[in-house]
Amino acid sequence: MIKMLPCFVKKLKIVIILGLTAVLHQPALADENYIGMIKTYQPLAAVLHAGKEIPVNIGAKLYPGDTVITQTDAAVGIIFMDGSVLSLGSETRFEIVDFLFKPAERNVSFTSKVSKGTVAFTSGAIGRISPESVKFITPTSTLGLHGTKVLIEVK
Amino acid sequence: MKNCTIFFAIVGLLLAGCSGTTVVLVPDATGKVGKVSVTTKAGQQVLSQSGASTFAGKADKIPTQVKVLDSTKIQNMFGTVLANEPAPPLHYSIYFQFGSAELLPESKPLLIKIFKSIEERKSCDTSIIGHSDRVGDNNTNKGISLARAESVANILKSIGLAGNCLDVRYYGENDPVVATADEVAEPKNRRVEIEVR
Repeated sequence: MIKMLPCFVKKLKIVIILGLTAVLHQPALADENYIGMIKTYQPLAAVLHAGKEIPVNIGAKLYPGDTVITQTDAAVGIIFMDGSVLSLGSETRFEIVDFLFKPAERNVSFTSKVSKGTVAFTSGAIGRISPESVKFITPTSTLGLHGTKVLIEVK
Repeated sequence: MKNCTIFFAIVGLLLAGCSGTTVVLVPDATGKVGKVSVTTKAGQQVLSQSGASTFAGKADKIPTQVKVLDSTKIQNMFGTVLANEPAPPLHYSIYFQFGSAELLPESKPLLIKIFKSIEERKSCDTSIIGHSDRVGDNNTNKGISLARAESVANILKSIGLAGNCLDVRYYGENDPVVATADEVAEPKNRRVEIEVR
């Protein structure tokens, strides 16, 4: 679980070699790169990951590109690797467009898309390091969050 | 039939009038109010006051003038998401002797407190991030910062924390709390940060 680039590249190479000889063991690689975890959950919701629908539970890990979809009366709470906190209300569609968190290199960004529903978001380390880097895209507008807490409703 | 068409036309207009993005700026858990810009193709509004809100109804129209919403209105719109927010992450810092992975004596009892807070949260999602000051070269400092992170991880594991719940990272001298010139000893930078999510 050591996150430094040379180590990661080595692991990636090993995974690629394994992938050539055996079935690609995706979860082992994906696990180290999770960017958020579900902390609170009221059914029913789903996560779209790499084109597949994954059932939601507390402790489920999220990755860049994932979409969280909640149904009537549902709620999902997520904490991201940078410490930012997200709460999704019912009938909400939320997509993690881009999440990059390499504080040592000052290389950070967090862009997400809210297509519908309600959201409460409190920014974390990415917002502290680079306030320009936290963005939300909605059907009509783009939000630039310069810290810290914002509520969004998309109808 | 004609009435029906008119009815649906009106309902359609009403729905169209409702659709759009409402944004409200609120204080965070510490009471701090930040700032958010809301931009469409036609223009921008900036919210910088507690309760300030704007509405972007159409991509080619400027978002509405900033209006401050009262707490009742905010609760009506966002009560559910506010009630379901996860508890904010906890942050701790552990400090070290000069050039070593040996904890300062006063930091040791803190680790027991941290372990308890992880248990209370039933969390399996903790980052341990090692840092150094700028005395010595960057490679040596990366090694020291890793050794620091590992010694904290080992202590937490020896107390009873599951290793698969820990994410260990190290940044050497690259992410100081107190910015200094190279080769300056800074006790506040000789640290391990713990984030319990």
